[in-house]
Amino acid sequence: MNWLPPSWRKWRLPAAGILLCLLALPAARNWLEASMTRHMLVQFPLLALAGFGLAASLGQRWVERINRWNGHGVTGLLAAALLLALLMIPRLLDLALVDGWLELAKFLALLVCGAAVQLSWQAAGLLVQGFFLGNVLPMTVVVGYLFESSPVRLCNAYLLGDQERLGQGLVWIAAAVGLAWFAHLVLVLMRRDTAAAV
Amino acid sequence: MLRSALLSVLLALAAYAGSVWLTHDFQVWTAEGARRLEVALQPIAAPALQIDGPGLSAQPLSQFLADGKSVTVVDFVYTRCQTVCLALGSVYQQMQATLQAAASPPGAPAQRVKLLSISFDGQHDNPQVLQAYASRLSADPQLWQFVRLPDAKDTQRLLDDFQVVVVPNGFGDFEHNAALLVVDQRGRLVRIFDYAEQQLALDYARHLASGVSP
Repeated sequence: MNWLPPSWRKWRLPAAGILLCLLALPAARNWLEASMTRHMLVQFPLLALAGFGLAASLGQRWVERINRWNGHGVTGLLAAALLLALLMIPRLLDLALVDGWLELAKFLALLVCGAAVQLSWQAAGLLVQGFFLGNVLPMTVVVGYLFESSPVRLCNAYLLGDQERLGQGLVWIAAAVGLAWFAHLVLVLMRRDTAAAV
Repeated sequence: MLRSALLSVLLALAAYAGSVWLTHDFQVWTAEGARRLEVALQPIAAPALQIDGPGLSAQPLSQFLADGKSVTVVDFVYTRCQTVCLALGSVYQQMQATLQAAASPPGAPAQRVKLLSISFDGQHDNPQVLQAYASRLSADPQLWQFVRLPDAKDTQRLLDDFQVVVVPNGFGDFEHNAALLVVDQRGRLVRIFDYAEQQLALDYARHLASGVSP
């Protein structure tokens, strides 16, 4: 989060903490989890954002300690990719509604996802970033397409229309993230060319 | 770098273990698939909750199902339903017709298979309403009975035990993971079949009823 103005940086920890507390409120959980689309497209990213913010406010010494186990951000992005794969299994959405421990595990997994991306993204460089997105985005598209085109409900607690909307949302998000990263890649390469020419 | 590689391998193994647990060794991906597999591996005893219905005295569900003689194919309905339940009604009508045809020679095993529709809308579906519903579907009371649980808390308990999830669909109807639940002579839910597998459900119920206990 180096793009934040320095005077704002001190707000990262309280902001992430407040976001996490709000998401953990039973009323917020019930409302977000009442719809499959809100569950996966609102609650999931907000939890990951909270994890991202918490990791961004870690002290330098902690970051150095973590980096020893996270060479080139590979470990962190691998952890995020594996967790996202697990979180896309439809059974998990149903289980999280009825099993408190699994709900807790889901919260932790998403916090770790956000934190891992924050701690690894810069260190990963374009190659590892590309490999990570090259795995996660197609997986998201496949799951989204499956949700959208399945004639049966994959979650007992959610309606078919909701599942279709979620599927479309997942495909659009994957496409948008892919495009955004590609634009970033082109920009970086162009800047490098200009720098080399000078 | 070695530490990173080691941790990565550990993470991959942990994720593999997690997905094996979550998908029952990659056999199921949905909660419904897991429910059906778990029931087949580990039957669920019907709870002793009070039921009543047309032509039936109030009695515990477990006692009604565990009569020691008959296998019951159970489904969950509500009489105000305008969509899926109508389809299920016709599945049950077809199963009733099959059972009636098979039961013509006296003492045939088919007589030991019964059909039971349980309403999860016990407040509305009192025995009179169920009676009217049964006649509308031309249910033969010898083969196909209708019950409700007068207490809403009992209904929820039964739905929880049998892992039936009822979701209001916003148009006044309910969506639920409707299926054919086969309950054996001892009152245990032993297998869950899809609507589309009515013949399979019936064959399985008859097989159980013919005395070969699993």
